[in-house]
Amino acid sequence: MSRASEKLKAPNDSGETLWRTEYYEPAIADTGERKTRFQTQSLRWDIKPLYTQADLDAIGFDPDTDLGLPGTYPYTRETRPAGYRGDLWAMTQVSGFGCAEDSAKRWAYMVEQGLDSIIVEFDLPTTNGYDSDNPLCRGEVGRAGMALDTLQDMEDALDFPLEKLKNITSVCNAPQPVNLAMLIKALQRKGKKLEDIRLMMPNTILVEYTCVGRYIYPPKHGLRLACDVIEYCMQHHSNWMPLNIVGAQIYAARGNPVQEIAYSFAMARAYIDELLARGHDINRVAPMVSFITGIDMDFFEAIGKLRAYRKVWARLMKETYGATAEEALKLRLMSSPGTMSMALQQPLNNIARLGIEMLACALGGGAHTINTPLYDEAHALPSEDAITIGANIHHIVAQETGVADTIDPLAGSYYVEYMTKRMEDEVFAELEKIEAMGGALGALEAGYFQSELAEEQIAMNRDFHTGERKFVGVNYRVKKDEQREIEIFRHDEAAEARQIERLNKVKSRRDEAAVARVLEKVREAARGNTNMVEPMLEAVELYATHGELCDAMRDVFGEYDPNALTPTL
Amino acid sequence: MDQPIRILLAKIGLDTHTIGITVLAKELRDRGFEVIFSGLKQTPEKVAHAALQEDVDVIGVSCLSGGHMTHLKVLAEKMREMGLDDRILIVGGVVPEEDVEPLKALGVDQVFTMGANMDDIAAYLRSAVSA
Repeated sequence: MSRASEKLKAPNDSGETLWRTEYYEPAIADTGERKTRFQTQSLRWDIKPLYTQADLDAIGFDPDTDLGLPGTYPYTRETRPAGYRGDLWAMTQVSGFGCAEDSAKRWAYMVEQGLDSIIVEFDLPTTNGYDSDNPLCRGEVGRAGMALDTLQDMEDALDFPLEKLKNITSVCNAPQPVNLAMLIKALQRKGKKLEDIRLMMPNTILVEYTCVGRYIYPPKHGLRLACDVIEYCMQHHSNWMPLNIVGAQIYAARGNPVQEIAYSFAMARAYIDELLARGHDINRVAPMVSFITGIDMDFFEAIGKLRAYRKVWARLMKETYGATAEEALKLRLMSSPGTMSMALQQPLNNIARLGIEMLACALGGGAHTINTPLYDEAHALPSEDAITIGANIHHIVAQETGVADTIDPLAGSYYVEYMTKRMEDEVFAELEKIEAMGGALGALEAGYFQSELAEEQIAMNRDFHTGERKFVGVNYRVKKDEQREIEIFRHDEAAEARQIERLNKVKSRRDEAAVARVLEKVREAARGNTNMVEPMLEAVELYATHGELCDAMRDVFGEYDPNALTPTL
Repeated sequence: MDQPIRILLAKIGLDTHTIGITVLAKELRDRGFEVIFSGLKQTPEKVAHAALQEDVDVIGVSCLSGGHMTHLKVLAEKMREMGLDDRILIVGGVVPEEDVEPLKALGVDQVFTMGANMDDIAAYLRSAVSA
C-alpha cells in the first residue's frame, strides 16, 4: 500500500499515518525491522508498531459499554469491586503422589511454605476408574498423583492442617461422583464442618474427551455424571465450586486464546443446558460454573484473554440465558501460569518465566486463585525446592511489585483494549460456529475440537523448529552438553505394593454382602435418572472401592472407545 | 526410493498425552514414512501384536507419565518372544537422563525427549532401518 493511500484510508487516525511516514519508516529505512513478521504467539495476529485510538475506533470500542467499572457489568475491569486491594488471590499448586500418607505429608509442607490452597491430583488408575491392583495399572500407581481406592485413603489423605486453606481442589473428572462422595464422608469423619470448607472440583469431563483422555464412559453419560455432581452441590453445598472447566488444558493442547475461551464456554453451555432441562434456574446454575485458564509467555495475549474471558461470560449469561443475578454474570476464574512454557532444558530459566506469567495474571486480574506449576515441571513431580520457590513467586509479585495495588491498571491501553475487544468478537463468532454443530457435544463427536487443536499443535511445533518462536535454552541460546542442574523428585517404586496392601487390608474387613447390595443399587441408579451422588455416599461408607463403583457404572453405561476421539492423524 | 519405512506409534498404559505423538505422526508422514497409530491406552502385548501384524520396521512408544521403564520392559520381552527384536524400538516423551541407559539395556534403540528435532528423528530412523 502506498503512503498516500494509507493517509486517505484513515482520516481520524490520531496522527498514526503521519507518524509512520515521517518518523517510523525513516527510522527503519537503513536497517529494516528486527523481524520479518511481528505476530502474537498463538493467535498469530499481526502486531502493528503502534496502536492508537484509531484502532479502537475501527473495531467499534466504546469505553462506556465495553469497560464499565470494577464490579459492574460487563466486568471487563474486574469482577470483584475491590480487585486485589481487598483480598489477594489464593496461592495454590498442584500436588499429590504415592499413597495417602505420602500426599498428606507433602500438603502439610506446602501449607508451611505459605500456600493457602491446594490442587489435589490423583494417579492415572484413579482418574481412569481402576483400583490399584488392576493389571492395566502396572507402573502407574501413585505415580502421577495420589493413589485412591477406598474411603480409608481419602481419610488418611486429609490428615494435614486443612483449616489453613482458602480452598481445596480435587481433580478426578470421569469418576467425580465417587470422588465427591469420598470427600464428603472423609470430611465428616474428620469432624469438619462442610460449610467451612471451600471445595472445588474440575468435573471437567468434556475437556477430558477433547484433549486430555482420562475418560471412562461415552460422552452423554459423562455429561450426566458431571451434572449430577453440580446438582448435588447446588442443593447441599452451594458455597462449593463443582464445575471448573479447565480451559488451561485446551490451551496446553495448543488451543489459542480464542479457542480456549470459546471451547470452554461452549462446554459450559452443555452443562448449563442439561441443568436447565432438569428444571433449575440459570441464576442458581451459573454461579456453580467456573473456569481455569492457562497463561503463557505472550504477555498481552494473556492479559487480553483474562479480560475477554470475564466480559464474554457476562454477555453470554445475560444475552443468551437472560441471567439477572450478579453472581451469575460474574466469571469465576483460576489462572494457571506455566501451562506450556516450562522447559526441560536449563530449568532454572523457568523461574523467570513463572514470574513474568504471574505478573500477567496479576495485571489481567479476575482470578480468585492462581496456580503455579514449578520450574522442574518438565522433569518430574515437583521437588521441595521447587515448591518453595513457586510459593515465593506468588509473594514476590503480590508484595514487592505494587501491581496488585490498583484495579485493572492496564485499562485504556490502546493495545490491551484492542486485544480484549478483538478476542471478544472472535470468541462470539467461534461460539456461533460451535452452536451450529450442535454445541460442544456435537462438535466433540464430529471431532471438530480435536482436529482444530491438532492443527495448532503441528503449527506451533513448526514455529519452534523454524525458530519463528524462540524458546531460550531449547531452540535459542542452547547450552551444549547440558547437564541437569537441579535435584529432581524420584517416584517411590514401592508405593504400588504398599497401596495394594492398603486396599487388601480394607477389603478384608468389610461386609461383602452389603458391598454387593450397594453396588447393585449404584447400577440401578445408573439405569434410571436419579442423582448418582446419593447411592455413592452410601457405597463409600461400606468401603466399596473406587474401581468397583466405576465398574458398576461401566456395566450400565459401557466404556467409551478410546480411539474414537483420537485426532485424525 | 525403495519401500517407505513403516512405523507403529503407540501409547501404552493410562498416559494420554498425545501432542508429541500427533505431531510426530504428521511430520513423519510428510517425510514419506508410513505411520500407523495404535490408539490410546494400549498394553505392551497389544502393541507387540500390532507390530507383528502390520510388519513394521519401527515401533515408537510415547510416554509422559513416568511409566516408561515398566512398559518398555514388558514390551521388549514380548518383542523378543515374538521374534521382533530386529525391529527398531524408540521411546519419546518425558524420560530423565538417568533412565536412558537402562532403557537401552532393555533393548530400546534410541530415546527422544522434549525439543527433539523432527529432521533428526527422521534421519536417525532412515539410517537405523537401513543399517
